[in-house]
Amino acid sequence: MEQANSAIRVDGARKVYKTVGRSPGRAAVDGVSLEVEQGSIHGLLGPNGAGKTTTLKMLIGLVKPTEGTFKILGEDSTSPKGRRFLGFLPEQPYFPQHITAMQALRFYGQLAGVEKQDIDGRAVELLGKVGLDGTERTELSKFSRGMLQRLGIAQAIIGRPAVVVLDEPASGLDPVGQRDIRNLMLELRESGTTVLLSSHQLSEVEAVCDRVSILNAGKVAAEGHIDELLNISGQTSIRVRGLDELPAAVNALAGDVAVSGSVWVFSVEDSAVRSVVDAVDDAGGAVMSLAPKRESLEDYFARLIASARTGVAS
Amino acid sequence: MSRMLSIARAVIADCVRRRVPYVVVLFAGILAAAIPSLPDYGVGVEPEVFREVALALMYVAALVLSLALAANRLPSEFERRTAYSVLSKQVSRWEYLLGTWLGLSAVVAASVAAFTIVVQAVALISYGDFMWVLWVGTLSIALEMGVIVAVAVAVSTVSGPVVVVVASALILFVGHSRSTLVGGAGATDLSLFYPSLDSFNIMLPVAYGGGVSALMVLSMVMVFVGLSGIALLLGVVLLGKRDL
Ligand SMILES: Nc1ncnc2c1ncn2[C@@H]1O[C@H](COP(=O)(O)OP(=O)(O)OP(=O)(O)O)[C@@H](O)[C@H]1O
Ligand SMILES: [Mg+2]
Repeated sequence: MEQANSAIRVDGARKVYKTVGRSPGRAAVDGVSLEVEQGSIHGLLGPNGAGKTTTLKMLIGLVKPTEGTFKILGEDSTSPKGRRFLGFLPEQPYFPQHITAMQALRFYGQLAGVEKQDIDGRAVELLGKVGLDGTERTELSKFSRGMLQRLGIAQAIIGRPAVVVLDEPASGLDPVGQRDIRNLMLELRESGTTVLLSSHQLSEVEAVCDRVSILNAGKVAAEGHIDELLNISGQTSIRVRGLDELPAAVNALAGDVAVSGSVWVFSVEDSAVRSVVDAVDDAGGAVMSLAPKRESLEDYFARLIASARTGVAS
Repeated sequence: MSRMLSIARAVIADCVRRRVPYVVVLFAGILAAAIPSLPDYGVGVEPEVFREVALALMYVAALVLSLALAANRLPSEFERRTAYSVLSKQVSRWEYLLGTWLGLSAVVAASVAAFTIVVQAVALISYGDFMWVLWVGTLSIALEMGVIVAVAVAVSTVSGPVVVVVASALILFVGHSRSTLVGGAGATDLSLFYPSLDSFNIMLPVAYGGGVSALMVLSMVMVFVGLSGIALLLGVVLLGKRDL
């Protein structure tokens, strides 16, 4: 009952997969701890193979942990009873082929404990919510990858869970679908639901996550608000349009210059922003955006990996 | 409990969609085609031969159906990860396993019952006799298949369909070979604990009118409960240990 306001709590999670005929390999997840506050959206970021899926599967009880404790709303989530407040979207979800979307949601609704008389209404409502309206009677063998992803999200939230765990919710979705799922997560948070999602795409998490944990090679490399982790203090990123080349005065101050057609992106010291904007104006260009310079996730990962190699603790 | 039944219902619905009922139709077709070649009523021993052939055909059809349905059920659920959406809910692995077994056994039992009705119809046409005694054979085949499905489901929690079929065939062979393998009673008579399927040998009493007793039926039911229970328990333990 302690830590009453942490919805998800993972302590010292560790997993060494058994490999047949070989000596035990390195740990896929090695001492990961996570704490997600109730009613917040938490991102689990990391490159391919970082251990995101393994961590989530241990939390859900699909993979047996080598070590660690896993709690959802204070209860052991590796036991069935501890999962009664949980909804889970697996990575690249897949469903029986020969049933219709409606039959699938009825089945998952029953398992999630939805009352019999409410199931059909709830299923139709959810299909609409995930953008699958009108597919009630479509067989799942005729569903596209993105449609299966949407159905996966619907089955995860059918029982109105207090905690939702989504493994790469945006994978396989088109831009509209990605926006829909972002809005859905915000809507869930609005209603007090806790969301934990994994991703390797910064854009997917930065718009919605209150906090992120960055996972690399099975360990938590950093934890905090995404701005704190990735913003490069004192630098501003500027995007301008309508210039064939940068004015000399700007060129002298700009770093990381990138150009595509007549659109330029570069960064300058915060203190130089005003003069650079004036110089661009004078040269006949238009400033499209000014934003705090943010390290790309790729750069961040590269730096993490490099610092891990040289043994420098971050 | 209700979750286990939901899973069993889903398994049954899936089998129906996979055209399992056609197997029954096929079976009926084979029997119907055989009607003209059946010996006439009243020529002595022929109805017994008919019953023996019908029971043997039912047994083989039920066995093929059981293995076809059970051998790949769980392996494909794990490989395609359809099990995740089930097991991430408030569903225990044992509920999932028992629900699957229950659903598959129900499908096999219903098919065997349908076979019996077909056989009865043919018996009525050819011999003017409903041959109600056949239902003892139906029960025996359905129960034996329940054990085989339990073995198949249990083994399939940790291996693929080929191993499942081989293991099930082995259990069948061993189960029907007590007298050859263990021999007569000796100082170390362990035959009491032998996983014998001999209680399901009903050919003589059913086909040849050797007499069907309540004790026979009771012993069938007990062997069914005991052996499928052991197999399912093993399955639950194996499934409980593995990563999905
Ligand atoms: N079933 C398994 N058996 C053995 N090793 C595994 C298994 N599943 C994952 N691994 C290993 O564990 C490590 C972490 O994998 P995991 O799937 O958790 O990564 P991830 O962060 O989800 O990556 P991705 O972004 O590609 O989904 C990888 O090195 C992977 O090879
Ligand atoms: Mg993953």
